[in-house]
Order: sequence, then structure tokens, then C-alpha cells
Amino acid sequence: MVNNVNKPHDEWQESAYNLPAQYDSHRDSKAFIGWDGVSLFSEDVDVIRLAMEYAAQYQEYSEACGRCAPGRWGGRILYDQLDKIARGEGSVSDLNHLKEIGKSMQITSKCEIGKTVPNPILDLMHHFEDEFMACINEQKPSKHYNESVGYIAKITAPCTDACPAHVDIPAYIEGVRDLRFDDSLLATRQTMPLAHVCGRVCPHPCEEACRRTNLDEPISIMALKRLGADWETDHGYGFFHPMEKKPSTGKKVAVIGAGPAGLTTAYYLAAEGVEVDVYEELPVLGGEVAVGVPEYRMPIGKYNQDIECVRDMGVNFLVNRKITAEDMRKFESDYDATMVATGTRISKKVYCDNERFEIKGYWSAIEMLDQINLWDKYGIGEAVDLTGKTVVCVGGGFTSMDVVRCAIRANAKKVYMIYRRDEKTIIRNTTYEEYHEAVEEGVEFLFHSAVARMNDDENVLKSLLVDKFELVPDPNGGRAELVKVEGESYVIETDFLIPAVSQAADLKLLPEEWEIEKTSWGTIKTNGKDYMTSRTGIFASGDCEYGPMTIVNAVGQAKRASSVMSRYLQNGEITLTDDEIMEDHLRKLHVYNKKEKIKGWLPGLPREHSEILGVDIRKDNNKEVNLGFTQEQALSEAERCMRCYYIAMVAI
Amino acid sequence: MEKLINFKIDGISVEAKKGETILTVARKNGIYIPTMCYISKTTPCASCRMCVVEATGVEGFVLSCNTPPTEGIEIKTNTKELENERTNIMKLYDVNHPLECGVCDKSGECDLQNKTLEFGISAQNFSARDQSRKIENWGLINYDPSLCILCEKCVHVCNEVIGDDAIEVKFGGYSSTIIPKNSETLDCTFCGECIAVCPVGALVSSDFKYSANAWELSRVPATCVHCSAGCSLEYETRHAGIDGDTSIYRVKNNFEFASLCGAGRFGFDFDNRDKSDEAAFHKAIEAVKSAKAIRFSSMITNEETHILQLLKEKLGVKLFNEDARKYQEFMKSYSSISGKKHHSGSLDAVKLSDAAIVIGTKVATDNPALRYALTTASKHNGAKIIYAHPIEDALMQNTVTQFMKYEVGTEEGVLALLANALLKDADLGEDEKAFFDALDLGYLEAESNIGHEEISEMIKSFSRTKNHVLIIGNDLIAHERALNIAKLAALIEKYSDFSLVIVPNEVNTLGVSLIADLDKDEDSIDVVGYNAKGNFLISSLKFANLSVGALNQQEGTFVNIDNRVLPTNVAVKFDGYTLSDIAAACGVKSENTIDYTAKLTPNSGFKNIDFDSLSNFLSPLGEDIRGYLLDEVVCEMNGKLEEVSDLPEFNGTVIYNSNPVLQFNGYTNISKQLEKDNTLRGSAQFATAAKISDGDRVEIRFDTQMILREFNLDNTLKGTIALNPMFDNVTDASRYKFEKSKIMRVSHE
Repeated sequence: MVNNVNKPHDEWQESAYNLPAQYDSHRDSKAFIGWDGVSLFSEDVDVIRLAMEYAAQYQEYSEACGRCAPGRWGGRILYDQLDKIARGEGSVSDLNHLKEIGKSMQITSKCEIGKTVPNPILDLMHHFEDEFMACINEQKPSKHYNESVGYIAKITAPCTDACPAHVDIPAYIEGVRDLRFDDSLLATRQTMPLAHVCGRVCPHPCEEACRRTNLDEPISIMALKRLGADWETDHGYGFFHPMEKKPSTGKKVAVIGAGPAGLTTAYYLAAEGVEVDVYEELPVLGGEVAVGVPEYRMPIGKYNQDIECVRDMGVNFLVNRKITAEDMRKFESDYDATMVATGTRISKKVYCDNERFEIKGYWSAIEMLDQINLWDKYGIGEAVDLTGKTVVCVGGGFTSMDVVRCAIRANAKKVYMIYRRDEKTIIRNTTYEEYHEAVEEGVEFLFHSAVARMNDDENVLKSLLVDKFELVPDPNGGRAELVKVEGESYVIETDFLIPAVSQAADLKLLPEEWEIEKTSWGTIKTNGKDYMTSRTGIFASGDCEYGPMTIVNAVGQAKRASSVMSRYLQNGEITLTDDEIMEDHLRKLHVYNKKEKIKGWLPGLPREHSEILGVDIRKDNNKEVNLGFTQEQALSEAERCMRCYYIAMVAI
Repeated sequence: MEKLINFKIDGISVEAKKGETILTVARKNGIYIPTMCYISKTTPCASCRMCVVEATGVEGFVLSCNTPPTEGIEIKTNTKELENERTNIMKLYDVNHPLECGVCDKSGECDLQNKTLEFGISAQNFSARDQSRKIENWGLINYDPSLCILCEKCVHVCNEVIGDDAIEVKFGGYSSTIIPKNSETLDCTFCGECIAVCPVGALVSSDFKYSANAWELSRVPATCVHCSAGCSLEYETRHAGIDGDTSIYRVKNNFEFASLCGAGRFGFDFDNRDKSDEAAFHKAIEAVKSAKAIRFSSMITNEETHILQLLKEKLGVKLFNEDARKYQEFMKSYSSISGKKHHSGSLDAVKLSDAAIVIGTKVATDNPALRYALTTASKHNGAKIIYAHPIEDALMQNTVTQFMKYEVGTEEGVLALLANALLKDADLGEDEKAFFDALDLGYLEAESNIGHEEISEMIKSFSRTKNHVLIIGNDLIAHERALNIAKLAALIEKYSDFSLVIVPNEVNTLGVSLIADLDKDEDSIDVVGYNAKGNFLISSLKFANLSVGALNQQEGTFVNIDNRVLPTNVAVKFDGYTLSDIAAACGVKSENTIDYTAKLTPNSGFKNIDFDSLSNFLSPLGEDIRGYLLDEVVCEMNGKLEEVSDLPEFNGTVIYNSNPVLQFNGYTNISKQLEKDNTLRGSAQFATAAKISDGDRVEIRFDTQMILREFNLDNTLKGTIALNPMFDNVTDASRYKFEKSKIMRVSHE
């Protein structure tokens, strides 16, 4: 509790948290009230009304909750009693009722929202008892009771906050728990149209912020997402959309790239009544998830369901359309706005000696995965057969894992992964499962190694010189440094070197004269909040904006961008909604607190693990490796969710 | 052997299996934890928070309904602090709850009343600003939101057990309410399950509303007569008026564990009010004595069937019942391969399954309990459910994972294809191997329209499943090739891990098939009809030459789909003669009809148990301990599969004899609450093909029959097969239900 009321300005105490004292560019916050307490930034705050409005927000937002007896009635009583006191009609017994009800809610509510709403209210009643008593004794309204003050509230949860797409995770888990799989899917699709994909291949940053970790183990959040999507598909339903498509606005948007960012932009804009044309360079839709992520991780049949869901919203797709600068100039007049979501499709070099594209056997990860996926998933092009070949991949991220595991499936004789750092880091950069499955399938990982030189014989790759490194700690406590170990270098004979270090964006489609600002690492620059580029009406999202990142990051950016674009199309202005401003404030604040002690839940209930196809059954084919939860597992996993919803509110 | 979790509740050592929660273990051990929203047959609603308990070493209270125990924990269920919080919750439940219990239907059996008393809440401690809320009239169901405590039981059962998914919670905190899902008004199959589970007076029967108080009603445990599920129910009766006539006021059931469809719940008023008529009785005796045959329906008790069998033996009359005879023939053929008398499956097996194939039944209307079992399997176990039928059923969409649409008449071929796929790796005998080797798969696939891909998709979807059931419907039993189909079904049951359910048509089709020696029906002049067509009609329905009691006016037993012998009782007395009286006059004597209960033939698995020794309730933990299960009977395995015959073609306009929701028979047809839609219903495509339009009077001709009906368009239907109802008894329900028909518009007079 930070209380600067009635203190001289220079004695104001700073909050230890990153609280939003400035709400947006033209409005200061007067107070911030949340699940853990209250911060007052102005001496003029009417604390009684603040408490009352917070209770009112709980009422307002209780569509997210209101599902338990203490929350449903208790919340209403909190509000009614506080309002009674604030309008000058309260009595001492009302204060007692508030305390009694507040305590019951804290102990027995179903979710954190019910448990925490009384926290700041009881705090205020305690710290400002005089003000409360004055209103009661004098039967007068609180000091600003009749004035209009802005209160902006936002519901969040640690997992939702940590998810780049801000998926309402507790709601979709509740859908599973209640066996209402349609509700589960609708909750996901509010902010995430790729439920099949992100129920399978999301790196799930949400699970790092799962409050259940404080008790035992995080919920298997990602795996629960596919239940709703699978249910829709299994029962042959059309597509459940969480919103009604609005009537046509007469506005048109071009989206360049049909990957996760492009699909997401298209879905939410089409829902707003915007006509959307999506241009895709490849003959198939889906972007890197289609031609990058292999079938055994992300079956194309399932991804196509997500894509069809987007189409079902009324999106036009045009494939085999590589967009040039000339097209872009034309789009400026043909369309009311353009989204660039072209990803990063140039494999970066490994920077070794003799690294030349002409050498046969030097094969970029993107090209290799394109060929494999186009053949395996669509029968386009030709199959990759690596029988009898040795393959070396340089990488350490998801793409490199896909490369080596695909090479195993293409029957390579030997597959190496060369990585500069250690096992722990590769696991952190990908997932434990991904790494161990690759090892099981026979990939040999060479850690603390880097390719120094490609050796060729008349432009045919023969072998690689590999340097060995060790990690030398910085005596001054800085970051440890990789230092080459002299005399430990060795040679590997190989047929292929596949660089999968990182990817860069191909931005030749941006007309030079537009002078669109770029980042220092060669991606399109935006402010990371509204995703408009330096040129009005041209937006960018996904990897071409951020650099190679996750699917869910692309979805989150594009979802936000589509919201900004829909308003831009109407009034020509770039704005964020209050909800979005609060979302950004809370993200900075970090909703998840890993030190918090959990009360009211029995610890020791283990996280469920889905069945993985045995290595001998999976390694020579494209069968989906992760079989997902059985219904029984899914239900017991969903039961572990603690529904950690919170309300934060700002007075401005 | 699965590992058990050992822990303590209130100092008592208990153990839990995987999947059990603290609450379920407590209940199993007779330890009381109060709840308001918990219902055993669904996932926990977790809304009331009454079931909180304390666990040693855990700060705060833990919810017992959805928390599985961990090894070694010690749970306390009744500390002072818990009592205090539970009392506070009850105080909240009582916030603004109307105090007009005197005019509330639920009074006397209301959970809110009970708990309010239990926790000694003598006043409404808190109040909140009241809100105006309209009472909703949803046809058979009324909803009063101001009485609703938002426990969500109704929503859970509708979605998880019934499968209608027709209601949902409209979230809004204090103004949360239950609303029809995706619809202005309630659009569902009106099973009334929501009424049954409602702990307060929020959801009530429109018909029962304000008609009686709970404590004035007598409860008669009985068995539902409308389909072969034989659901357990209680008729609630009361004297009506000063003349002392007893009527049934409503039907209730043990909703904690069991379910009822709307016909069971609302279709109870079919008792026969006719008075005793001695002259008619004597005519009936003469008719029976001179009859060549007695034709009877399967809506009859085992005991009366036994009487008919005795009459046959005594008088030499033939016994006609095509429905039961076809079932009997089917089962005989089944036994010749399986070597046993009864199919292995049951409704419980379906509930526990994670893979099921349903073939040849429009299950949602043929046997709603079976549909509910499939819903339970689908929702709770994520079951893969294959629904093979020529007509897609919109009611089954959220249950079924694969619809296999086969051509009418090709059932034998379809089952052969299924058997071929399911028994691919089975250890078959030589003859059986030869049978499958000889199958012309290409021909069967082409004619039945079940492609190879469909079969492989089914096998693929079964890949991680463990509990399999095959459900065979009447379209296979009444099929021309029924005997070979039965053998195929037996083969699947014998050589795979599928359990088998062969769905009987009527409440006691199975019982009759086990008791009576039936003759093939033939048109004859001297037939006495017992609740069936005849020249002399003995019936509990209209136009009887001699009136007899309806099935809710009789005691006796039925055998249901589970092979369970179920007792039923007299809800309303019938003032007249019984079949037993007629039999006595013909020399087949016994004091009471139920004297025969213990004499039913052991050759069919019946046990020598007196009627009065049969229990008629579920155990406190929900096990079905009604009556008894038939003993298995070993049969001779002398059957041999025949080659699959040429698959027939059904061209032109085809109708399917199938009842609308809530309608089953002559009884449901006279129940005042049930809708009676006896129109021919078809899709727009059918209308075009038959050259008829919505609202036309049409003449339907098939075989030797001619039926006049109104035609109605039904946009839930697809394809070129129309549905012709049977409940009004103008169609013979024992025939194969698809008929090539001539349909003509009849000009209006």
C-alpha cells in the first residue's frame, strides 16, 4: 500500500512496483487499485468512491466470474454497502457487514477475482477509517461522490498476461473442465484464431507464469487448448466464431503473407466488416507453420481447420502471388490499409570460412523445410531422400530441431546438430520434449561447437572443420564468454551443411521511396503497441516486425494491429482502447508473482503428460508424435487450474 | 493393479482410486460434507463452495468436490471455522431469496430450505438491491430466475448427460441467470432433467405447478414403460377431489444418478379410467376360448406373457407378436454363434465406453436412455462414436464423431464390412476366415456406399480407445437378412473386445422373446388382440371390447436392454378385470398375476425370486440394484455364417417409420402434456422428389397399407427419406422401418 495522501509532494513514497502513474500520453492516473493493494497518486482521491467503483467493476466484469455463491452475492453486497456509505446513508453495521462478507469472499470464492476483490477494499477501510466514519457519522456523501471521475478497469490473469496473444486461458480451461468444449474454443478464438496450432506447437510462455507453479507444477495449458478445436472438428461442426461478423464497412485491406500474423489480421478485420485480401507467395496457405513446422509436430489437416476458420469469416486468399514494390504502390490506392506479415524467410549464414552458396550440399533450412513440407503435406515438388547421407545442422532453435528431425525421417545415415552453447541452453531455447525426442531419434548433438570452415571438392561439400569452445566465466561477474579451445578442433565428413542459425526478413517489397524505418536487425520498425510503420496506413506484424519469434507472438501482434487498423479505417487515427492501454500497463507490471504463497489449494497433484509415440513407431514417418491428452487426463489437468483472475483499476 | 491413495478423513483411514475426489471418497465412507451444487453424474459445478474442507499443512480451505486427495493427507470436514464459513455461504444463498415458500412447488423438498434449517439461519442477514425478474414460460418447463440459486446443475446435466446443450448460464454476477442457448426460447427435447435436478423451485413443471405440495404425494416406485431402457421412476399420486379418485400428479426419479426422458417424466397419465364391465368380461372369455390366436404387443409384463403362454399350452391358441418374434429369432441366431443367450453389453457399458458403433437405430427417439449413455461417454470419456444409418440425426451431432451414411437395405453388407475391419487381426476359425476371404469388399462398399476410407478413418479414430461397444438397432433385427446379421454381430462380440447391445423395440420385447413360444403372424379372422389389433380387442386404450388396466396400473416385471428383470407397481388402481381373470376362467388359475414372477422360465435365465423380494431402487451410491440380472444360459454353437446376399436397392420415395421426440406408443399418444406431431416429416429435397409441399394432405402407400397424413417440411432433415410416425398405431412397428412408398397429394375436400 502506497499512500501519498496528505503528504507534501517531496515526501511521496515511490511504489516498489512499476505502477502506471501516467495512464497515457495525456492523462495521469490518480490511483491504481488492484488485487494486491492500492496506490494513490493524488491527494484528492475519494477513497470511499474508489472502493465502491472497484466493487462496481467486479459487478461489471463478473461475466468472467459470478459463478460461485460468495462471489455472486458477496460482490453485490460489497457494492451496495459501499455505495450506501458513499452516498451518505451508511451505518456502522454496514462497515461490519463489509468486513464479514469480505472475509468470507477471501476464503471461499471460486476464483482469485472473488478472493482478491475484498483485499484493497478492506485495506482502504482500514487506512481511511476516519473518512468512512465521517461519511457515516455526518450522513454526508463522500467528497467526489457526485462528480464524474473516470475509472478504467481490466480483468487479467498471470497466464493471460504472459501470453503474447492474451488468450483468456482460465476461460478455455474452464470450458474443458465443464465439458463445454464449444465455450472453450470460443474463449480461445476471442484473441487467437489458431487454436489447433497453438494447442500443439506453442512454446507456451503462459506456463512460465502459471501460479500453480508456486504450489506444485504449472498447468499443461497449451495441451488443453486443442480439446475445443478437436471437438469442433470431430463433430463436423462448421466454425464457432466468438463474434458476429459485422456488416460491411466498405473498407478494404491487403494482407501480405498468409502465415499466423496474416491469418490473424485477416480474421479479426473480416469480423469487423472489412474486406480482406490475403496475398501469399507460396502455392499453399499457412506460412512457416505450413512449410516450416513438420507434419509430425503439426498435422496439416489440423492447421487447415484453423485456416478454413479464417476463410469462413469471409477472407479472400490469393496464392502464388509474390508482392513487389510495384504492387505495394498500387495497393496504397486500391486498399485502405495494408498489413505486411511476410515473416523471415531468409536463412542467415553461419559465418564460417568458404561459406559459399555455390557449394553443393550447402542448403538453407528454409529451403530444405519448404521442400520437405511441400511434398509431405501437399505432394508439391519432390520428396527429400537423404538415404546414405550425413547431415550437419547448425542451430539451436526450433527451426534447427525441425531440420534434424526431418533429416532423420528422410532416412539420413547420420545427423549432427552443432550448437555453440550447452544442453541446458538448447532446452531453454526450445523445449525439453523437443530436445529429448530428437536425441531419442538418433540426432547427435555437438555442444560448444561451431563450424569454422567448409571444405569442398570442386564445389561439392566434403567435410567441415569444427572448433570447440568453452565457457569462461567473467571474473568481474559479467556474462560468461565462449572462448575457443585451441587444438581441439576436429573435422566431420558430411554431405550437407544446413544453416538454421536464424532468419532474416526479405523486405524488398517495401518501395524504397517510402523510406520505411527498419530496426537495427533489419526488420520493420513499429512502436510495438499499434504496429503501424513509419508510413501511414502500412502496418507490420509477426516475424518481419519482431524478427524470428514464436507463432503466438505473431498472433498477439496481429490481433492488436487488427484492432488498431479497424479504428484507423474508420477515423484515420491511430489509437489504443482503454483495454489495450491497461493490457500494456499490466504487462509491464507483470501479473505473475512467483514468490506469492498459495492458499486454499491442495498441493502435490502432478501435471499430466500426454502420450508420446514410441521412437521406433515415429522416426521413419510423419505420424503426429504428441498424441495429446486422453479425455481423462485433460479433465484432471483442467481441474488443477486455480482460475487466477484479477481486476486492476485506474482512476484518471 | 491400480495404486490406491491412502489418506484420512476426520481421523478415519480411507482410500481413493484415481479419479475420485475427497468428496466422493467421503460419501463412499459415509462421511457427510454439505453441498448445494454437487450432482454425482456430472463434473463438479464447484459453484456453491459449501464442500470446503481443511487439509493438514494447507493454509486456507480446500474444495472437496473437485480435489483429488494426495497420499497421506489428513482432511477435516467439520471444524468450527468450516462451520462458520458454510453458515456465511448459506446466509448469502438466502440474500433476497423470496420467502413465499407457501406457494412454491419445491417447499418440503427444497435443498435451500433444508440447508437453511440445517445451518440455523433464522433471518435474512444481508440484503442487496432487488431486481425485477420475469418468470419464463418454456412450454413444459417454467423458469423463475428470482428463485434460482445458480448452482448450474441444470446446465451441467443438459450438456453432459442429456446432450441437448440447450441452456447456459448468462454470466452477470448478481444478475446471472439461466437462458436458452442460441435461441430465444427453450429449444430442446424436453426431457425435463433440468426440473428434476433443480434444488429449488426455479425450474418447475408447468403442468405440476401449484397443483400439490410435496408432502401430500405418495410415491410409487415403478419402471418406465415407453422404451426398452426400463428407466427407474416414481409415480407421485394423490387423491383428487372428494370422490377419492387417485391420480398421478407427476413423475420423479433418482436424478442424482439416473435420468429420464420427457416421455417418462411427462407421459404418465395413460391410466385407464374405464369401469368394470361384467358383460364385456364374459364376451372376452368366449372370444379367447374360440380364438385361433392371441395377438399381443410387447408392452406387457413378463407375468402376463407367461399367462398367455399358459393359455397357448392349455387352449392351443397361437401367439402372435411379430416384434418379439423377430427379436427372438435374431437372438436365437446370435446364440448359435456366441453360445450364450444374452448380449453382453448394457447401458452402463455404453456410459463407460470410449468407442462405440451405433448401427440401425435412430437412437435419440428409439431409446433416449441409450442416447444419454452415449452423451455421457462422449463428454466424459471423449468417446469416438460412429453412427451408421441412412439418415443423419441432428440430435446426435454433438455426440457422434463419424456419421456413416449407408444405403437403405444394405445393413447386412455394412455389418460385414465392419466385422471385416474389426476382426482383421482376430484369431478366427477356418469357416469364419473363409467367410471373410469370400467377401466381395468392392461390391459391398459400392452398394452400401460405405467407402474404404470411412472404415479406415473409424479404425484410426479407435486407435487409443479401450472400451468398445457395438449397438445394434431394430433396422437390423427386423431386416430380411436378420439371421445372418445376428451371426455377424455375434462374431464381432466373440472375437473382439466389443461388448454388444441389441436394442429391443419396446419396454418388454426382450422379456416376451424369452418367455413366449411365438407363432408367425398370419391374417386370420379369429384373433383376440391384447393391446394389439384383433377381432376382439382387449385393451387399456380406446375402442376396447374389454377394458383392462394400463401398465401403470399393473404390477409385474419387464426385462430391459440390460437383461435386467425390473419390477413395476400399481400407481393407480384399475377397476375391472385382468388377463389373469380371463385366464382363470379358461382354466389357467392363480391368485395374483405376480405369483408367476418366481415361475418364469429358468431356461431363459429367470431366477426363482418372488415379486415382493425384488428391490426397486438405486443404492445410496447409485448402483442399479433393481430386480435382478438374468442368468447367462449356455446355448449350442451350431450356427454357420451364410454368404452375404445381394444387397437390395431402395429406389424412389422411401419413408422411415420413426417417432418424433417424446412419442413412443399409444400411451404417449394420450398423454396430455406431450406434443403429438403425427405428420409425415421430410426435407425440402424429399418434398421435391415426392412432388408435395409443406402442409399437404398426403396418402402414403406401402406394402398393403395406406396411411393419410399431413406432410411437414423439417429443415433439420436432409436427403430423400421422410419420417413417418408410429405412435398413433396406424403403422405396424414390427416391420423393417424403411418402406418404398407411393406418396400422393390428396386434394382438400
